[in-house]
Amino acid sequence: MSSRRVIDVSGLPHHGFDTIDPVWWGNNGLLCIETSMFMITIATYFYLRQNFVTWPPPLGQLTGPLNPLPDLFFGTTNAVLLIVSVLPAVLIDVSARRNSRGAAQFGLVICLLFGVAAIVFRAYEFPAVKFRWDANAYGSIVWFILGMHLAHLLTLTLETFLLTIWCFVREFDMKHRLDITALSIYWYWVVGMWLVLYTIIYWTPRLS
Amino acid sequence: MADQKKQGTAKLIEVELPQSSIEQDRKQLEKTWAHAHGVLGWLMEVDHKVIGLRYIKTAFAFFLFGGIEAALMRIQLARPENHFLSPDTYNQLFTTHGTTMMFLFAVPIMTGMGIYLVPIMVGTREVAFPRLNAYGYFVYLIGGLLLYTAFILNTGPDAGWFAYVPLSGPAYSAGKRVDIWAQMITFTEISGLVGAIVIIATTFKMRAPGMTLSRMPLFVWAQLITSFMIIFAMPAVMLASGFLASDRLIDTHIFNPAEGGDAILYQHLFWFFGHPEVYIIFIPALGFISPIIITFSRRAIFGYTAMVLSLVATGFIGFGLWVHHMFATPLPQLSQSFFTAASMMIAIPSGVQIFCWIATLWGSKVHLRMPLMFVLGFFAIFILGGLTGVMLASVPLDLQIHDTFFVVAHLHYVLIGGSVFPLFGALYYWFPKWSGRMLSERLGQLNFWLMFIGFNVVFFPMHQLGLQGMPRRVYTYLPQTGWGSLNLLASIGAFILAAGVLVFLINVFWARSAGAIAGNNPWGADTLEWSTSSPPPVYVWEYLPTVEGRYALWMQNEKTPLVVGLSTTKREILSTSVVDAFPELRFEVPGASIWPAAVALATAVAFIIGIFTPWAFAVAAVLAFAALAGWFWSNPDYENVNAQNPTEAFMKPTEQPKELQPKEA
Repeated sequence: MSSRRVIDVSGLPHHGFDTIDPVWWGNNGLLCIETSMFMITIATYFYLRQNFVTWPPPLGQLTGPLNPLPDLFFGTTNAVLLIVSVLPAVLIDVSARRNSRGAAQFGLVICLLFGVAAIVFRAYEFPAVKFRWDANAYGSIVWFILGMHLAHLLTLTLETFLLTIWCFVREFDMKHRLDITALSIYWYWVVGMWLVLYTIIYWTPRLS
Repeated sequence: MADQKKQGTAKLIEVELPQSSIEQDRKQLEKTWAHAHGVLGWLMEVDHKVIGLRYIKTAFAFFLFGGIEAALMRIQLARPENHFLSPDTYNQLFTTHGTTMMFLFAVPIMTGMGIYLVPIMVGTREVAFPRLNAYGYFVYLIGGLLLYTAFILNTGPDAGWFAYVPLSGPAYSAGKRVDIWAQMITFTEISGLVGAIVIIATTFKMRAPGMTLSRMPLFVWAQLITSFMIIFAMPAVMLASGFLASDRLIDTHIFNPAEGGDAILYQHLFWFFGHPEVYIIFIPALGFISPIIITFSRRAIFGYTAMVLSLVATGFIGFGLWVHHMFATPLPQLSQSFFTAASMMIAIPSGVQIFCWIATLWGSKVHLRMPLMFVLGFFAIFILGGLTGVMLASVPLDLQIHDTFFVVAHLHYVLIGGSVFPLFGALYYWFPKWSGRMLSERLGQLNFWLMFIGFNVVFFPMHQLGLQGMPRRVYTYLPQTGWGSLNLLASIGAFILAAGVLVFLINVFWARSAGAIAGNNPWGADTLEWSTSSPPPVYVWEYLPTVEGRYALWMQNEKTPLVVGLSTTKREILSTSVVDAFPELRFEVPGASIWPAAVALATAVAFIIGIFTPWAFAVAAVLAFAALAGWFWSNPDYENVNAQNPTEAFMKPTEQPKELQPKEA
């Protein structure tokens, strides 16, 4: 029996924030996938636009406007709402890092309310587009964009819901504190993506 | 540097490791990492070795199905005006053949090789996300079964493996055939994407201490770059097939020119995925070739940095080629010229790698075993395919031979030469690792020569047939065309090729019971997977290894440290920093669970009922949420358990602990 050189890792922690933890890489990898999804969808939007003389196309009724733009109200409200929702998202991020359970619980509940509100307002955004999905290619792609982002709003809100319950009835452990920081990154991403999509759906037809 | 400031608690020390403690640890690890049993256990298992082998076996089964379809088509084309197959069956056959080979064989088998080998090669016990990994496999399996169930029920897709609109649109493809194809795409792409995430996180965060990025085996580099390509390419085809399905199901007009949609857009979306796809299949194959050449020439690879950069360059340029599949559509000439230039440019990094391999082999004492034979076969076939690729990159020539058998010849030279031959080499190379037994070299020679000769006999004449104007995807031809004899030759070749594959199967079944015992490292190779026993135990290593250079085992000596201090009672693996592989965390991975299979089932319900009604998605969203909530909520016994650490008991430092620093090679 001889002595042997070893690396003793028994003193290492089990979790670390951000790039230290593999979960961060998994989470951000998935967001990369979704980002490519949206980028390709946006490319599709502008590709289809080339086929139209006016964008959006005329409603087809003699009295209607030549390019019936989508109503600004609900989309803009949603954009403002989502920008404000970054505050509770930052709060849960910070309180998870500082291990302050109360603040995290409070922040999660506020986030949840914002998520539900954004979903409700989104429901009104679809009719604000003057075409149904089956009217023409413009209607199809705009409904697609709204719908794909809605899917993320739903996922985000449900994930928030699960973590909220966990933080109230289970332990505020390191693993779930990490999950909360991952949730907040997802939150920033959903908001950021909406600002891009909002500009494209509501403003690019107006500004050009 | 920042990493080292935060985490300085890994210590390099010398201890006594008595045999009795090693034995005690081994027994405990065996219990902790034990497999789940029974039917439920089959659904719950998360071990990456099990999942990886499942991918490989399933994909190989689909390869055989795809091969049988090819053989049926060759029988049909063996003579003019043949009535062996009806036109409709022929359409289903070539569509299912292409779809199977691309989506159910080539990509998943590469994923499977990565999932089995990457964790062991970087020196860890499990992938970063074992349950996600298991989910990916189930989704893939269901997607494959969906396609074949439909095919058997005579509703197999029949619009080509690319399903171009308008042919695949609601106006020209009634029924559910194309929808089956579209949903199958979704299944396999989800699985590919999930696999990519798992491999990226494992490669970045689970490498053995000392395995800096610049010491990572080329196989792992290839898998890593492929995974990044998957992340940026596969969403395009998911969108394309999603748009197509919704055009067909709920009357959207994305691809309908009558309402402002665009048919060419479909081709852009499809090939923005489809061309990188070729490299998603090809780059892992390059990753097989490098270790095989290193091992059998007994040398360090010539130009490691150039090799890595070539792989990265291929990954980037691979995204700039897609339009060369669309030269026959009305595109601006300028963009055609751009894509011609890019298509020729990608020959440069491929050329760099081939020259590096030749330089490695040159003048070395080559051990010509089966894996290397297949690599040499790759050189011959792939270079021919590459040359016709450069020809096809030229627009005037492409227009002339577009949709002829010349293209069929080219793509099979590239894909079989570039991917299947290295894959067979890899199967000969790693089969001893996962089975513990060697494949027969004699049967291997027979296998190789039948495949090599058969392949050339079936596909080389197709160049000539294409130049003579024989179109692809047409079920028969007239005797007056004069294509009969070359077609007959090709069909004979197909059966020689099939005989080669049959010999491989015989070899495998023979070797499983009668092959020579392999031992840990039958080839004398340099990468870490060869330091554990064959097949590896469930926990892979009693103590995780560390790495002191690019060629881990060749540079190992009695002073190379091992990793101690990981729990033996929990599924703990070591997580290290991204660039320097400096120990950072004792990361605990979850064990067996039913939730991945449950979520896969919910996903399947969504997509399969979604073929018939959009409301399926609402119902299935609820199901998926319930399953995901269960996954999240399941009280995994791996959390918050502070087991005492059995290794601590016998670790007696005999010298002053000092900080571990990754040493330069």
